[in-house]
Amino acid sequence: MTDGMFTVFLVDDDAGVLKALSRLLRAKGYDVRPFASAEEFLERHDATVAGCAVFDVAMPGLDGLALQQIFTASGKQRPVIFLTGKGDIRKSVSAMKAGAVDFLTKPVRDKDLLDAIARAEAEDARTRQTSAEVAAIEAKIATLTPREREVLTHVIAGRLNKQIAGDLGTVEKTIKVHRGRMMQKLGVHTIVDLVRLAEKAGIAAHGN
Amino acid sequence: MRAYDRAQPPGLRCSVTARIFIYIVAIGLCIASWAASAAEHRRRIYFLESLAPTQLAAIRTIEAFQKRMSEKTGESFDIFIDYMELERFPSQAHIDSTIGYLSQKYSEAPPDVLIPLGRAAIPFMVKYRDIIAPGVPMIIANVPARAVTDGKTLDNTVWVATQYNFAKTLELAQRLQPAARNLVIVAGASPYDLSWVDDAVRELEPYRDRYAIKTIVGLPYDETLTEVSQLSPDTIVLMSFVFVDGAGLPRTPPDVAAAVAKAAAAPVYSPVSSFFGRGIVGGYTDSFEAHGTAAADLAFEILSGKPVAALKQQTEPLHRYQVDARQIERWKLSAEDLPPDTLVSFRQPTMWEQYRWQIALIAAVLAAQTFLIVYVLIQNRRRRVAEAETAEQRLEVAHLMRVSVLGELSGAIAHEINQPLTAILSNAQAALHLLARKSPDLEEVRDAINDIVHEDNRAGDVIARLRNLLRKGESKSEPVDLNELVTSTIALLNSELIGRRIEVETDLASRLPATFGDPVQLQQVLLNLFMNAMDAMASTVEPQRRIKVSTRALEAGAVEVRIRDRGPGIEPQSQAQLFKPFYTSKTHGLGLGLTICSTIAQAHGGKLGLDNHPDRGAVAVLSLPVQEFLAAAK
Repeated sequence: MTDGMFTVFLVDDDAGVLKALSRLLRAKGYDVRPFASAEEFLERHDATVAGCAVFDVAMPGLDGLALQQIFTASGKQRPVIFLTGKGDIRKSVSAMKAGAVDFLTKPVRDKDLLDAIARAEAEDARTRQTSAEVAAIEAKIATLTPREREVLTHVIAGRLNKQIAGDLGTVEKTIKVHRGRMMQKLGVHTIVDLVRLAEKAGIAAHGN
Repeated sequence: MRAYDRAQPPGLRCSVTARIFIYIVAIGLCIASWAASAAEHRRRIYFLESLAPTQLAAIRTIEAFQKRMSEKTGESFDIFIDYMELERFPSQAHIDSTIGYLSQKYSEAPPDVLIPLGRAAIPFMVKYRDIIAPGVPMIIANVPARAVTDGKTLDNTVWVATQYNFAKTLELAQRLQPAARNLVIVAGASPYDLSWVDDAVRELEPYRDRYAIKTIVGLPYDETLTEVSQLSPDTIVLMSFVFVDGAGLPRTPPDVAAAVAKAAAAPVYSPVSSFFGRGIVGGYTDSFEAHGTAAADLAFEILSGKPVAALKQQTEPLHRYQVDARQIERWKLSAEDLPPDTLVSFRQPTMWEQYRWQIALIAAVLAAQTFLIVYVLIQNRRRRVAEAETAEQRLEVAHLMRVSVLGELSGAIAHEINQPLTAILSNAQAALHLLARKSPDLEEVRDAINDIVHEDNRAGDVIARLRNLLRKGESKSEPVDLNELVTSTIALLNSELIGRRIEVETDLASRLPATFGDPVQLQQVLLNLFMNAMDAMASTVEPQRRIKVSTRALEAGAVEVRIRDRGPGIEPQSQAQLFKPFYTSKTHGLGLGLTICSTIAQAHGGKLGLDNHPDRGAVAVLSLPVQEFLAAAK
């Protein structure tokens, strides 16, 4: 992968279409990775690069929608654009519900496809940024001691130090020390910031 | 046999002896009765013709005589004929030998009745009757009434004598020639000939104011003929006797009459029956047959024992109007004006009259034949029209079914065209984007355009295939590569197969011999079989939705395609109905698909079968003769 270049993962069983779309997207400066089948894509997909996927809906073996499901189920995230030969509303709805960026009908005009890819690019950027943040938070959380982490779940549950000390069977002063160290490690100064951070990291409050 | 003889009982042997005795008695009786009948002789009738046997007069007279006698009595007679030939041999020596001959004959077998014929017999009989046949009753026939007086001394004799009726003969001529104004009488130079002219002139006196009467009488033979040949056509010629011509030469009257009739420029008639049939038109005449009949009536009376003196002494034989049809024709006379009861002789029977039955039969046969031919032709034509109609309808139905199948496939086919269109659009737009750059990558642009051309051809192929299948018209006959047909059918179905999540596995034989036929119809069969296979797998779980197509050459000069699905297979109760029209196991569809496929297969000399696979699903087998095999068969 070249830095700063957006990659399009193109999956279409039709060699002619695959080749033409690849040519078009390359001409527009995208890095294109063409795959002739869903299986091939799943095998060779590189989750690390920034990019989006363009799936043909009607394919032998795994079709586009099935591919999307499997792909999402595997926890990978990548904006998906669907291409279909038929304007199948039912399929387009379920694709969109499953998080597709767009559902385009073949023959697809370059502008429509490029717009969709641009949107996918933005979404991908957003996703990537979010996950970068989460990764940073998680890294900080990882530095907490079990006790500090315990205190964290109590704090975001809105409990007072005295209450937390009672819950954990210790004195208020000790809790205060843990809390101060925890806040410091996580780099937050207010309870509000702490709660937002915990939310991003997916840490549930105590008792929930 | 012998053993059987010996074993015969004595009683039976006795009865055989008795039978032999009876036979002997019977034979004796037979001989006795035969001897008795021989003693009782048949009565004899002697005809004595004064002229030669060359004259048919005697024969015709005697035939009529016999006919009449057999009508009157069942008795059989011995009938004898003698010809005296007095005219040809007038010498006394001939007469003497004739007398001797007849005397001897008549004394050996005495006649019961003697019937002299002809005028010349009268003086002969007057002189010699007492020598040759004394006391024998005589009937003298075939003589003119005028001659009867010559034999007035003959006793125990009756006469059949004819009157020559010139007046009635003229009346016949009048009817036939109403416009005639001249009347000519032709006769010879002898006193006898002249005596008839006198009679005729006297008889015709009443017609004198109507006709200019002229005679050609007593002229030499040649002059007579010249004269008659110069007559005007509105003349009636009455022919009398020419025993002697003007040159003193003896003539035979019927021959002269024939010559005159031939030479004459006008129709010739005569009351003399012996002239009839020799060229004259006709006359009021008797006939030899009439003489024979009259003589028979008299002979019957005599033989019945009636005294000759008690009979009518002179009988006039039956006269009637007679015409010769050939002469009517010759003179262009109108036969419609003939008196009633006229006897028309020598009528040339028309073809129809002569061969009525044959003609009718031939005509009937011809008519029947013609009818049959026409019938067969019409039937043939009808059959051909019907066949053509059937063929046309079959084509029509096959076409409709193709349209229907393609209708079902329309979405898939649209997709098949959509794919290359997508590629074309994207390639074109890619090319535009590439060209928009400052330094365009022309190599890439060329590739894009090449791909556009390629994709366009691809779309064109789909449309051509489609148009081919939608094409309506006569079926073609050309070599067909079954593998190619399978491949192209799968290509056409590609999108549909993907849409239905069905995989196709192919196992096509290499170097498959070509079959011969209409590629469109054969593709229709494959298309139909594929559609059936696809429909059959609607409820098959996805990974198992697979169609296997294989082709192979059979040893028996045939190739076959097998299409196997993995559906539920054919239900046993459906098996027999599969190829029947309008039978279907599908919720949609007409039930004509397999019927038509089977018809197409048969029309190609092949066959279509459908059976269950032992493992699972159904297998359709289309077998077709290979081209060489077909060519050899032809």
